[in-house]
Amino acid sequence: MTELVSILDGNTFLVSDRRGDIEPSLDFPTGLFAFDTRFLSTWLLLLDGERLQPLSIDDAESYRTRYFLVPGEPSHFLDTKVSIIRSRAIGDSFDEELTVLNHSGKEMTFTVRLEIAADFADLFEIKDTQSKHGDHAITIENGALRLTYRREAFHRETVVRSSAPAAVDKMGMTFSIRIGPHGEWTTRLEISTVIYGARGEDVRNRLPMAGSRSTAAIQAEHAKLVANAPKLGCDCEPLADAYRRSLEDLAALRYESIALGVRLMAAGLPWFMTLFGRDSIITSLQVLPFLPEIIPPTLKMLAGLQGHRIDDFRDEEPGKILHELRYGETAGFEEQPHSPYYGAADATPLFVILLDEYERWTGDSQLVKQLEYPVRAALTWIDTYGDLLGTGYLWYRTRNSRNGLENQCWKDSWDAICYSDGQLPGFPRATCEMQGYAYDAKLRGARLARLFWNDPQYADQLEREAAELKERFNRDFWLPDKEYYALALDGDGTPVDALSSNMGHLLWSGIVDESRAARVAEHLLGPRLFSGWGVRTLADNQGRYNPIGYHVGTVWPFDNSIIAWGLWKYGFRQEAGQICESMLGASRYFGGRLPEAFAGYERDLTEFPVQYPTACSPQAWSAGTPLLLLRVMLGLEPKGEHLIIDPYVPPGMGRLELLDIPGRWGRVDALGRSRRDDDG
Amino acid sequence: MTEATKQFFATLPARAPHVLRGPVTGTLRIDLSDGHRTEHWVLRMRPGAIEVGQGPAEADSIWYCGVDLFDRLVTGRAQALAALFRNESTFTGNVVLFLAFRRFFPPAPGTQDPRKVAREQVRQAR
Repeated sequence: MTELVSILDGNTFLVSDRRGDIEPSLDFPTGLFAFDTRFLSTWLLLLDGERLQPLSIDDAESYRTRYFLVPGEPSHFLDTKVSIIRSRAIGDSFDEELTVLNHSGKEMTFTVRLEIAADFADLFEIKDTQSKHGDHAITIENGALRLTYRREAFHRETVVRSSAPAAVDKMGMTFSIRIGPHGEWTTRLEISTVIYGARGEDVRNRLPMAGSRSTAAIQAEHAKLVANAPKLGCDCEPLADAYRRSLEDLAALRYESIALGVRLMAAGLPWFMTLFGRDSIITSLQVLPFLPEIIPPTLKMLAGLQGHRIDDFRDEEPGKILHELRYGETAGFEEQPHSPYYGAADATPLFVILLDEYERWTGDSQLVKQLEYPVRAALTWIDTYGDLLGTGYLWYRTRNSRNGLENQCWKDSWDAICYSDGQLPGFPRATCEMQGYAYDAKLRGARLARLFWNDPQYADQLEREAAELKERFNRDFWLPDKEYYALALDGDGTPVDALSSNMGHLLWSGIVDESRAARVAEHLLGPRLFSGWGVRTLADNQGRYNPIGYHVGTVWPFDNSIIAWGLWKYGFRQEAGQICESMLGASRYFGGRLPEAFAGYERDLTEFPVQYPTACSPQAWSAGTPLLLLRVMLGLEPKGEHLIIDPYVPPGMGRLELLDIPGRWGRVDALGRSRRDDDG
Repeated sequence: MTEATKQFFATLPARAPHVLRGPVTGTLRIDLSDGHRTEHWVLRMRPGAIEVGQGPAEADSIWYCGVDLFDRLVTGRAQALAALFRNESTFTGNVVLFLAFRRFFPPAPGTQDPRKVAREQVRQAR
């Protein structure tokens, strides 16, 4: 029973097995989580002492699941005299309705038992919950079971109540029930999670939006987000499915920030249900043409939490944009650096890029003016603390030797940055795509300075610096014998010569010399990098290549969406279309929901994309991928007060129309159609 | 109140032009308690300026903090957000003001410029 079902609403989520039970797991976050704490680690349903078996599961909506269960092990003869419906939803609290149905013609008695426990594990310590520093307590009050955890002033509680009378003990609740012929019995269980803050109140009571988020409210909010998005009409069914699924997942991944009382986008279930700088910015860039209203809270929050001092534990420096924010016990007691952690060298230029792109689409000059100083601080960081070695590039090297990130680019696993022969370079490291982002950030910063900050001198300076960076980069990163850009420079300035997908981001940034763009495109779509389902993170002839290696061979949908954007920018429409086609082809095998990553096996070999074992799903920037691909295929680009529409729809995809695209032009429609083969 | 805390509040108006550069306007009250008595510090912030006063004034947000913790914050030996997350200090109201105010807190004693450290290490490795 390892297959897991998840429901979520923002950063509260629940992961259980296919009968709805939760058992403590040491390798995967099963349980009920809120704000990085596990509030339920055991939640087992027994009927007359027996576990139940699932007949079917209805999980069409992200915040609600319904299980249809019967007693008996799978090998037993199915006892059809009784069945159970377990219907649950996540909103303000976790609610579960248990209904026992007597299918026989006579009165029956049953013992329904719920085993309940909470270990209050931090998401970072579920593999080792024995070493918790605080104290657990269990009390029974007025028929409710109250599970408490305290460590100094840190205080969290789970309270379980039942609408039907129950015999409550410290391990759970028991119901002795009698049901008439063809009758039913129901109880409603309410599980509240409490995070104590100021004056002993739940901190979330202080949030403007919290307190009354019923299931109906969530449903209304999701419906509103989907209703506000442009309408897609197309002949390509996988695209229609992926678009619909993406909008629903993006709605579900929004969560309420404790700090701002606004809705932000969490990065991915189950490991990343929190704010990430890089993920939230990339997702924002992907969804901007569709859901511009979700961008300002993200930008403001990242600006509010911008680094302000040097902090070695958190890899923080003045002007730097955060990598990851966590609210749990390990963050609070500084066992993990996420309060927030700043170990990302790319989030800072990406922050500048997002603000400029946002203004181009929406014309919201007020936000650009409001964020002038955070953006200036970000641009200053690029040339000061970001340029760790003073050589004109963005470098990273963690100063937290205990639990800092070795790699502070999007490929942040330990072995992601390697030479072609598989060896690992020393530190600091300067990966290529970060230099592209820095280049783009300078040009975009120049535009903002000239148009909105009344500072043409600064604009000139930034443009000059960008031009110098482009020249320097094309000299130092290009490998003339291999004809591609190095993945990185090592601490000596030697190119790290692996063939990787990072080059595709360079096209998006515009830092690639025109004369080299075609060669870069050939590599990206060539047999070493392109699997048939997408561009691999690392080419299959490299030393460290592994088709199921997290950043050394898998295919990442978000990576491919940025690559497609870059190919389009340099005029490679057919190649961009090929990536769109392959991604949408892959999405069919995941029910329209692209996972974080899938395996890099050759398309001919497996005939379907193989999911990466522990990939997060839904994942925000994977959900954003179909949206960006739509933009690429329709060729949507704001210019002044207008939206340029220049479609190139891949062969076989047929008609594509996107209605009511929001922006500074109001709402406009875009139409495209595949060229027929005989059109040439 | 510790000597470090007293000095910290005294220097705020002069530092504000460099520190409070974002779009922040409002009043933050810090209730500093030693367990017996509470001092109320009232900080009226706007871009580039801060006024420091005392007394139980109305505020857009209130931050409850122990005297010892505050001393560690103003000397760079603690970090403000982590202290909130472990509930060692608590907060109500508009958190933007708190996020802006935390910028006045200095780095830990003995912190070195990471550029200097990195360049030295690269030189030594050669």
